[in-house]
Amino acid sequence: MKAKKDRAFLWMVVPAFILFFAFHTFPVLQGVFFSFTDYKGYGSWDFTGLKNYFNVFQDTRALSAYGFTFQFAIIATILVNIISIFIALGLNANIKFRKTLRATYFIPYILSVLIVSYIFRFIFTHVLPDIGSSLGIEAISTNILGNPDLAWIGIVILAVWQAAAFNTLLYLAGLATIDQQVYEAASIDGANAWQTFWKVTFPLVAPFFTINMVVAMKNFLMAFDQIVGLTGGGPGTSTESISLLIYTSGLGGGQFAYQSANAVIYFIVIVVISVFQLRVLERREAK
Amino acid sequence: MSGLKINWKITTLLILGTLFILFPLYLTIVIAFKTPEEMGGNLLALPESWSFDNFLTAIEVTNFYQSFFNSLIVTVASVVMAILIHSLVAYAIARNIHKKFYKFLYIYFISAMFVPFPIIMLPIVKQTSFLGMDNLLGLAFLTIVMHLALNVFIYVGYVKTIPIALEEAATIDGASTWTTFWKIIFPLMTPMHATVGILTALAAWNDFMLPLIVLSDESQYTLPLVQYAFQGQFSTNYNLAFASYLLAILPMIIVYIFAQKWIIGGVMRGSVK
Amino acid sequence: MKKITKMTTIILLSASLLIGCNSEENDDKVTLEFFSNKPESMDFYESLIEEFEEEHPKINIEFEVPPEPVTVMRTKLTRNKLPDIMSISGDSLYGEMGREGFLYDFSDSDLLTTIQPTYLDMLSRLVGEEVDGNYGIPYATNAVSVIYNKDKLTKYNLEVPTTWDEFIQVLQTVKDNGEIPIYYTLQDAWTAMPSWNAIASNLVPKDFNVMKTNGETTFQESYQEVAEKAATLTEYGQRDIIGVGYDDGNRAFANGEGVFYIQGNWVVPELLRINSELELGTFALPATNNPKENKLISGVDATLAISEATEHKEEALQFIEFMLREDIAKRYTEDQKAFSAIKGIVQEDEAFKGIKHHFENGSITSFVDHYYPNGLGQEGIVQEFYINNDIEQALKKFDSEWNKVIDR
Repeated sequence: MKAKKDRAFLWMVVPAFILFFAFHTFPVLQGVFFSFTDYKGYGSWDFTGLKNYFNVFQDTRALSAYGFTFQFAIIATILVNIISIFIALGLNANIKFRKTLRATYFIPYILSVLIVSYIFRFIFTHVLPDIGSSLGIEAISTNILGNPDLAWIGIVILAVWQAAAFNTLLYLAGLATIDQQVYEAASIDGANAWQTFWKVTFPLVAPFFTINMVVAMKNFLMAFDQIVGLTGGGPGTSTESISLLIYTSGLGGGQFAYQSANAVIYFIVIVVISVFQLRVLERREAK
Repeated sequence: MSGLKINWKITTLLILGTLFILFPLYLTIVIAFKTPEEMGGNLLALPESWSFDNFLTAIEVTNFYQSFFNSLIVTVASVVMAILIHSLVAYAIARNIHKKFYKFLYIYFISAMFVPFPIIMLPIVKQTSFLGMDNLLGLAFLTIVMHLALNVFIYVGYVKTIPIALEEAATIDGASTWTTFWKIIFPLMTPMHATVGILTALAAWNDFMLPLIVLSDESQYTLPLVQYAFQGQFSTNYNLAFASYLLAILPMIIVYIFAQKWIIGGVMRGSVK
Repeated sequence: MKKITKMTTIILLSASLLIGCNSEENDDKVTLEFFSNKPESMDFYESLIEEFEEEHPKINIEFEVPPEPVTVMRTKLTRNKLPDIMSISGDSLYGEMGREGFLYDFSDSDLLTTIQPTYLDMLSRLVGEEVDGNYGIPYATNAVSVIYNKDKLTKYNLEVPTTWDEFIQVLQTVKDNGEIPIYYTLQDAWTAMPSWNAIASNLVPKDFNVMKTNGETTFQESYQEVAEKAATLTEYGQRDIIGVGYDDGNRAFANGEGVFYIQGNWVVPELLRINSELELGTFALPATNNPKENKLISGVDATLAISEATEHKEEALQFIEFMLREDIAKRYTEDQKAFSAIKGIVQEDEAFKGIKHHFENGSITSFVDHYYPNGLGQEGIVQEFYINNDIEQALKKFDSEWNKVIDR
């Protein structure tokens, strides 16, 4: 009886395990394997040892992709979370049309990032400069996506527009867990809105804040669709994310092996960051 | 807080905020209906006439019905497989988490959340093509592999809250583990099926990167990939492009209008776990 | 709950059936995949395909013109699934595919007899000396020149310049009249290359790539003048030279913004489509002050090739034969404003009168960047150079990137 039960459980996980191993773990191993070769993705190849790894560390294009990706991910993560908290607080207050407003703020999440990026590219290229020059605002009268120093801002704006929807919902779920009595106690103590937020609300949604930061950061570190749609990595290579670099050079540049090495390094970086974030999270929960 | 009094200040601010959300959509609609000649004037103005010509051209040029159908197949197949396979896995893991093997399996699956997709990207191109899976079916399989970690995580959290006594009663009645799962546990997981289904559906429908890498035949392109593939043809005609974009996002918007309460509820339920 | 299981099984099965159906239509027909890297020629190819399919009812051609064609082509190589027929440019990717044995060798076929030997040579140079064979048929050739708006030139009473100094003088006159001299579209990185190529191909020694790889020269030594001149030209661009993309630039230039446009011949049909009234002229960019040394850059724009692995070689060859037919080739050059690699077919369009003599007396040189190593990323480097205007930094980057790429 017991054995039969165990066997049933085993059969429940075996198909998924096979699928997962074949299409997740095995490709990862392949990637690691080829990172020690000079494989182009086709034709013949040789082992080259650690050469690819040494080259990645001297590759200005790769390094600038790391720089851009982290700058973008950190800024977008912070902005998304701040904006989402405030929208969530607003939606959680005693307001009219709550359902409709909540539904509207969630719309961006159901749209394809790539298509939204194309729409935003049009806004940055045509609509904003038009408005800018008719209002005489020099700063936005040219296309910011064409300026290597400003193009990343366009990507951040799009990313925040898109990601705030989901994060707002997560915060709303967090706010819903707070007992109304806590607020009543705070208002009896004479706390103003600002104090209530910092002293009461924020500590209670803090666990959500940490999780949201980790999840949003991880998503932004993978940024691909937004960049393909808005800038294609340009001008120059100023908005090239790591995912985009690995895709375009790994497949388009015939650098399969070299970019695999880059991907392995990226993997290690992500793991280190995740472990670090989890440590911080654990410490906070222990408090 | 202030009892039942409506806070009009916040209401107004939030309504103003929705302008930012709705502006790109408004722009898309307006431009999709305009003619190229109207583009010289005020971009934000309403079109002179509401003609569907751009849409008809877009449907024909991009082969809309085909790509809509492709997206639908991948989404339906992914959702169905995710609900069936992931719930089974989660059930087996949640009920055996005290055993080393299942504990390991759980950590093994969950750790996939930390593996960046780019490391899989290049080998997967070769592998799917080698196995003849560079098509919609392969795409659906890959989609559920990529979502395994998150979905199992959501399901396991939920299964833990289902009292084990129910199953024990069923076992005493002579039901096998499989019957117990399908008859008792699977129906009890319905709220999470909704959550997993919604999250997987949105991800599969809107995905761009995976289809870009996996699909090799243009006739199997999904809606977002078609927008990418047609950038060249759209180059000289923004109106056609925007009509096509609007067509591509419309199905999801329509679904959302009718099911928004359910969708938002599903996503929120997943996040509390 | 059996119901749900049954339902889902049914949905799954029907979904997989539908997927199956899709790939199995027209079973008695041979389906060939045809890949082209030029969105500009899409409409034309589509009409040609229709014609061909009418003549050959047993053959069905699936046509594909992807964005980022190089990436898509290499992805196909990685998948080991090449299209049956390809129309690609004669560049380093073609060379690699020929060397690695992915392409069918036309050497034994009599299709080559009508092709101009100069262009056959150009292609074999790309494949390299180690490998014999003709892996592609040069079909159409291109030329990068300075395209100008005839009306504007007449308006300011200007002559077509034949030397660098004259060119700068003309640009200055236009600028003084408050008009944009050169229209740039640098938001699309590749559009940085035509002007760079046009200058470099005339100023840099032909064996630069070999010498650079052997460490005998550097960009900092050989490209100083190229970079200076390229930077000088950008001073005559519109205000926001980086904020405009190729498509928007075409629209602006066709509608009368800017007097000169440094681009390939492929842009001409595009410009005329936007504004059919537009009168255009062309001349080779005078990179030096000696008119005789100023050559036109021309390369193989469309190379027809067949996958070595195709199961339908015969049908694919039929399509190539069809393309090479004199009437079709002539129509291609007319419609695409291209130049033909086939003997005896000349481009008579008024817009190209100014560069016709280069073809006639062979004062032609090939694109320098076709000989840069793969993965160098020259488009990004040159685009960045146009933005920052820092000659030293750009040439250093070229040098270090080159060294890294050949070491990879």
